[in-house]
Amino acid sequence: MIIFISVLAIIMIASAHSADQKVYEIARLKNEAKELRSAFVDGRSQLMRLKMESSIIKKVVEKGIIISEIPPQKIKVKTQN
Amino acid sequence: MATTETNILNRLYFVAGSMFVFALAVVFKLCVIQFVQGDVYRELAEERTIQNMDIPANRGNVYSVDGSLLATSIPKYDIRIDAIQPKQELFNTLVKPLADSLSRYSGKPLSYHLNKIKKARLDKNRYFLLARDISYSDYIRIRNFPMLNLGAIRGGLIVTQEEKRDHPMGGIAERTIGYEKIDEDGNVTRPGIDGYFGKTYLRGTNGKRLMQKIGNRKWKPIVDYDQVEPQDGYDVYTTIDVNIQDIAHHSLLGQLEKYEADHGCAVVMDVKTGEIKAISNLGRNQSGSYYERLNYAVGESHEPGSTFKVMAFMAALEDKVIDTSTIVDTKNGSKRFYGRTISDSRGHGKISAARALEVSSNIGLATIIDDHYSKQPKKFVNRLKSWKLHNKLGVSLIGEGKPVIPEPGDAIWSKNALPSMAYGYNLRMTPLQTLTFYNAIANDGEMVRPRFINAVKEFDREVKSFDKEVINQKICSDKTLGEIREILKNVVVRGTGQRMYSENFSMAGKTGTARTDYYDFEEWKKDRKYVSSFAGYFPADNPKYSCIVVIHKPSTKVGFYGADVSGPVFKRIAQKIYTETPLIDEVESLEVVDVKIEGQYESFYKTSQLHKTIMPDVVGLPAMDALALLENMGLKVNMRGTGTVKTQSINKGVKVKLNQIIVLGT
Repeated sequence: MIIFISVLAIIMIASAHSADQKVYEIARLKNEAKELRSAFVDGRSQLMRLKMESSIIKKVVEKGIIISEIPPQKIKVKTQN
Repeated sequence: MATTETNILNRLYFVAGSMFVFALAVVFKLCVIQFVQGDVYRELAEERTIQNMDIPANRGNVYSVDGSLLATSIPKYDIRIDAIQPKQELFNTLVKPLADSLSRYSGKPLSYHLNKIKKARLDKNRYFLLARDISYSDYIRIRNFPMLNLGAIRGGLIVTQEEKRDHPMGGIAERTIGYEKIDEDGNVTRPGIDGYFGKTYLRGTNGKRLMQKIGNRKWKPIVDYDQVEPQDGYDVYTTIDVNIQDIAHHSLLGQLEKYEADHGCAVVMDVKTGEIKAISNLGRNQSGSYYERLNYAVGESHEPGSTFKVMAFMAALEDKVIDTSTIVDTKNGSKRFYGRTISDSRGHGKISAARALEVSSNIGLATIIDDHYSKQPKKFVNRLKSWKLHNKLGVSLIGEGKPVIPEPGDAIWSKNALPSMAYGYNLRMTPLQTLTFYNAIANDGEMVRPRFINAVKEFDREVKSFDKEVINQKICSDKTLGEIREILKNVVVRGTGQRMYSENFSMAGKTGTARTDYYDFEEWKKDRKYVSSFAGYFPADNPKYSCIVVIHKPSTKVGFYGADVSGPVFKRIAQKIYTETPLIDEVESLEVVDVKIEGQYESFYKTSQLHKTIMPDVVGLPAMDALALLENMGLKVNMRGTGTVKTQSINKGVKVKLNQIIVLGT
């Protein structure tokens, strides 16, 4: 009887501890997710700035490439897609 | 004194008695705590270990039309150092490398950081700030600097993290994208889209959950459900086009810098739907660089100057008091109205009304309006009011400027008010209001409300979508529209906007150069201040976008005319959109049968089948055909030039050998 109750008690204590452990784990993962999100937005904002037309114009002007005065001409064949 | 047994016993009784009394006191106190004050303490204990905690809702994002992020919430980091935590020896060896790394990061000199950190150690500063509000990648970089990479215990690194609103595009359109800020006193500032839609869509509602403390500042949920589920904020999709916005921002910035102007704005609007594709507002700070300071386009109501002549002219056309060929005498650049002189930059003499608008003659417009409305000024004002020019547009941004259109009886009304209004003075409008009117001209008379957002979404589910809103179905007759559009086109071809003309693409619009801050006219003459603007649309014949550019107080040493200051920004945006839309030629099919080519091919095929060893007549054939024909026969062809063959060195009908040389002349 006493052994049974003490086994139950041990199980209860163990499960309470493992629940606590999970809380810590969740907090850690949440933080990591936040950091990854931060890294993603950071990367994306850098990309956005890099691919903006004005920054590209600045970069290629040394190579002698300037923006066209006339638009591209597109030939569209109606029977083909 | 001899020690007797009774003596000892007496002392013993005394000590035991005292201990008994003490024990009683303890028991008494225990009872008091347990039963009298028990409830208070039990409550306190629960409060400290169990709390109903807020689960913060995530604020929604703001997106551009192509799905680029314009505003989002991300963690930002503050890096500090506990300057006395590192051991002396460690500090001495690593402080210089740390300062070196920091100076490379911040661009400030090494000695600056070195002195600061050394001073922090001397001052026993345990919370010395190294960098504030930095992004994740910068945080990772700084964390690996010498000394800081040893961590909190040995290196003294302190990192704090906070959720902040970030604009990935940086300063571009920042004022229109906006934010929502609540300070300690509870005052809220809400500029831009983020501010306007913060409460209704972006914010979301916080949830609640019962949590129990388990040490180390961590809390665990007691029950496995939330008392109140948090509701994340919705995402807002704006109408802003990142590409057009980028061009508008940078060309406006370029002009402001060139003319050392005080501030300016540029707005691009989609003609059919009223969507704002780009809006840029730049103001100058004390050091002379520009940033998104205030939303001038929406909030700043000012005297528009010549861009308003279009409204005045249209009123006269619509009331049929003039037509475009009515002759108006603009004199030699100076005319008196009710004791006040109105002047033009130069005299134009007697010209047609249309021409007066093209060359933006103040006298011309003042004369037209004064001649026909001085007896019935109310009629003119009512016409303007029928276009709702006296009302706010009701755009979805906080702080729209109020337009002022005076009428007889108002404090600012006088005999001179009418001629002044004809060329855009004695009244106030915001750039966005002026643009809305020009957009109506471009949109066949339908006036639509400028719109900043397209949809509100929760992930992929659309919560609300926004559509075109019409302010006025038809502002005027098609005849008036056709005439005014012709004049606006001619402004760029041969009027005040001539310097902007491009043979590649068409634009239509009106320049404006208005005086500002002229209340003290003598003072104004010493330091002339103007507002240079250009409002219009493009392409001229089938308008797709309308645009206004307003630049305040350009340096008159560099220039101040609307066409020179604001025009280039307008032109650059028009050019950008023009060069980005490919010209599309449509053909039915690639298998086109051309009779001429078919015939040539037939005869080529016949000649090649007929002549294997005997020289054919190639005179008159295209050089390329002759070359192919003769080389297939095994001849070596010697030919110069292009076009058709005129001479051949071997006559026709002559038998030829392999590898024989033949000379063709073209």
